[in-house]
Amino acid sequence: MGTNTSVNYQEEKAVYYKVLAGLLLLTAITFIQPHLFMAQSTFLAQMLIAVIKAWLIVIYYMHLKGEKLIGAMVIFALLLVLVFFVIVIGVDVSHFQFKGESYITEPITTGAAHSATPAHH
Amino acid sequence: MAHAYVPEIAVDREGNEHVVQGWQDDFYGGKLGFWLFMLTEVMMFGGMFLALAYYNTLHPQEFLEASASLNRLLGGTNTVILLVSALTMGLGLLKMRAGDVKGAKLMIWATILLAVIFLVIKGFEWTAEYDHGIFLMHGQMLPESTMAFGKKLFFGMYFTMTGLHGFHIIIGIGLMLWLLKRINANKVNPHHYILYFNIALYWDIVHLIWVFVFPYYYMIGAATGGTSGH
Amino acid sequence: MSKTYFDETHCAIGHPKSTFMQWMLTIDHKRIGIMYAAVMFTFFFVAVATAFLMRLELFAPGQQYIDGNTFNQAFTLHGVIMIFLFIVPGIPAIFGNIVMPLMIGAKDVSFPRLNWFTFWLYILGCIIAVSSLWVGNGFADTGWTFYAPYSINTNTNVIFTLVAAFILGMASILTGLNFLVTIHRLRAPGMTFFKMPLFVWGIYATAWIQLLATPVVGITLVLAIMEKYFGIGIFDPAKGGDPVLFEHLFWIYSHPAVYLMILPAFGIMSEIIPVFSRREIFGYRTIALSSASIAGIGYLVWGHHLYTSGMADIAKTVFSFLTFFVAIPTGIKFYDWIATMYKGKIVLATPMLWALGTIITFAIGGLTGVTIAMIGVDIHLQDTYYTVAHFHYAMLGGVVFLLFAGMHYWFPLVTGRMYNESHAKVAFYLNFIGFNLLWFPMFIAGYLGMPRRYFDYLPEFQIYHQASFVGAVIFITGLIYMFYVLIQGWRKGPKVGVNPWRATTLEWHLPSSPPPLENHSKVPYVDFDPYEYHHGEPVVKFDENMRRID
Repeated sequence: MGTNTSVNYQEEKAVYYKVLAGLLLLTAITFIQPHLFMAQSTFLAQMLIAVIKAWLIVIYYMHLKGEKLIGAMVIFALLLVLVFFVIVIGVDVSHFQFKGESYITEPITTGAAHSATPAHH
Repeated sequence: MAHAYVPEIAVDREGNEHVVQGWQDDFYGGKLGFWLFMLTEVMMFGGMFLALAYYNTLHPQEFLEASASLNRLLGGTNTVILLVSALTMGLGLLKMRAGDVKGAKLMIWATILLAVIFLVIKGFEWTAEYDHGIFLMHGQMLPESTMAFGKKLFFGMYFTMTGLHGFHIIIGIGLMLWLLKRINANKVNPHHYILYFNIALYWDIVHLIWVFVFPYYYMIGAATGGTSGH
Repeated sequence: MSKTYFDETHCAIGHPKSTFMQWMLTIDHKRIGIMYAAVMFTFFFVAVATAFLMRLELFAPGQQYIDGNTFNQAFTLHGVIMIFLFIVPGIPAIFGNIVMPLMIGAKDVSFPRLNWFTFWLYILGCIIAVSSLWVGNGFADTGWTFYAPYSINTNTNVIFTLVAAFILGMASILTGLNFLVTIHRLRAPGMTFFKMPLFVWGIYATAWIQLLATPVVGITLVLAIMEKYFGIGIFDPAKGGDPVLFEHLFWIYSHPAVYLMILPAFGIMSEIIPVFSRREIFGYRTIALSSASIAGIGYLVWGHHLYTSGMADIAKTVFSFLTFFVAIPTGIKFYDWIATMYKGKIVLATPMLWALGTIITFAIGGLTGVTIAMIGVDIHLQDTYYTVAHFHYAMLGGVVFLLFAGMHYWFPLVTGRMYNESHAKVAFYLNFIGFNLLWFPMFIAGYLGMPRRYFDYLPEFQIYHQASFVGAVIFITGLIYMFYVLIQGWRKGPKVGVNPWRATTLEWHLPSSPPPLENHSKVPYVDFDPYEYHHGEPVVKFDENMRRID
């Protein structure tokens, strides 16, 4: 299994360079995106680009293409992370109910005495 | 276990022979094991991104402002450097598989060089931030400073995550040096390259983490105003 | 006399002559499992002693033997050892190592050297964890959960405990990784996933939790260390950090960790019940798949530890709802086991006694868990003795009881000898009675409002504490008795053949007892189910070349 099953050097090398070009292009897009499109939701646009880049890396550089078992495992782990995000961010924090009485948000409303220690004594 | 390992044969009731997979010389097993290890990295950085997103949800505006103050030029340069290093790593593996050991070693050295440059740039960046009074246990990051909570948390996470990523880079350099040693000892060669394969995978996951770290820290505030630099 | 794995071994480095170095450097999965067992039970007794010290202090209200701070350190030490050193690595590291490769017909795990490294990583973690008893400002007094911000602010040597937990977590991850690859790669030809023994299913589900949940607590501990030493602010309210986030991240691991403990234990149960009922297991697939679904759902219920910590109401509701779901696959398993026993020829040997005892104790532990999964009830019972009794019924009366069951069941496999059955049964009854007397009064005390982790209490709770104390004495006597019986059995017990229980799974078809270094003489072709009995007799038989002869 560990042996050399006919490497098509030129062909695989060409794939590497093509992917590199794609990644460089996406990196360039990263920089002009705020001035170009989706300026109101930079966060979303940036993460979208990152996902595409990650996809390219995983499929071609990490040779995940055609790996059924490992692919399924990767997807399972990613889904798990996604679920953590949905529950913690989507369900819990986005319904944060303690703003007024909280120590951990900005002391604008109430409780200034608690959180902002005076700079001068 | 690089030397001759002869797998066992199991025979079923019809007399058909079945090759028994041993733990020795199991290329796919090695690959599977390393992928599973990489899933632990995913969960680890996933946990940190979760913490980051947690505070981002509580302090959205301050996160954008803090992000806008990071040096996008240096960050972008580092992105490109890592990108190229992933290519050299991959090409080196390809050369090794095609039998070009010398070329492979050259490519590993190139990857190490790029990794060091990455760290040097990172060092400059952190130094500049220190000079602006933003560093762990220093200046505006101290509890008594009046910098907004969201910004403190942003920078706290920024130093932690980029620091941990840098730590992975350092480990990667160590692994590549070890790999060179193994290649010189002919333990890794065009027929037995699982170690090389896995270290290449490691380098890719280090790159992959940066693919997400970079936009989350440097780019989300890009539209908020302020050009690159402090 | 053929050589056994006690006579020869493969080593990670070189070929040392001395027996001691051969054990230190061994990569044989059976030897590593035995070493894990030796270390773990040593720590187990340290933690039992700590617990007994606390019981002693609680015998009467007021301060008798130890002060409040020492009490805090005592329950932290008890928790840290029991959770991180004993019960989390427990069954996978001991029986996963010794038995799992035998069950699937493998010569060893997939990465034997990594297995060796993992063992020593575990030892390193143990040393760091325990060394803070003597190094620095005393052992951590935070409880094993290290809740921020107290763990950030306390002056005790919490850093050692955090680092130790991180290292032990790494060992746990590597064990899981090794087992996953082993189960995927090294199953004997013909053995599909649904032909694996159910213990292997338990280990498989567990390994996924070890692999994917442990990194989250690992990074949480790293963040806590960063917070403590670099002030990054993440858990520090003075910088806007939210301690509840720590609890989220901590329980994202630590709740699945509960299933990580119980799933291999259920696996042992599924091995013992069919063998001692002389019947094919009822509902093989449902048991296998319920292991997988417990592991899956187990990831989604961590929030029920945070009902009183300040979560959004909607999140509480979601978590409560999800938590109830875990009871379903667990219930399926229980009905399957009972259905297996129905009309079986039940042999009341010691392993079976432990298994039957666990059906009672774990049922109590599990069902009391469902009551505190309800938000309203939990507000009343959170952090009371009710919760303490609940998780001890589930962990001690579930996981550890089944670990003991497995110890008796695989004893002849590991040692080649048999312990004294009648003494072992007496030990079981002592343990069972002592256990219930120890923990059941705590349900009542907790319901009446006795808070956990207090070193003093109101006089009205004294009767419950005293009953518990008596139970503790009986229980500890039973434990010592049980280990005495087992050690005597190993030293002087009669030699028994390779399959004294007339079991069907592959680990009972080895060429010698104890097994030789590389396990099965030949790898069999597996075209049969793991538990095939016909009229109380095993169906599948092998010749000396492991070919079926029926």
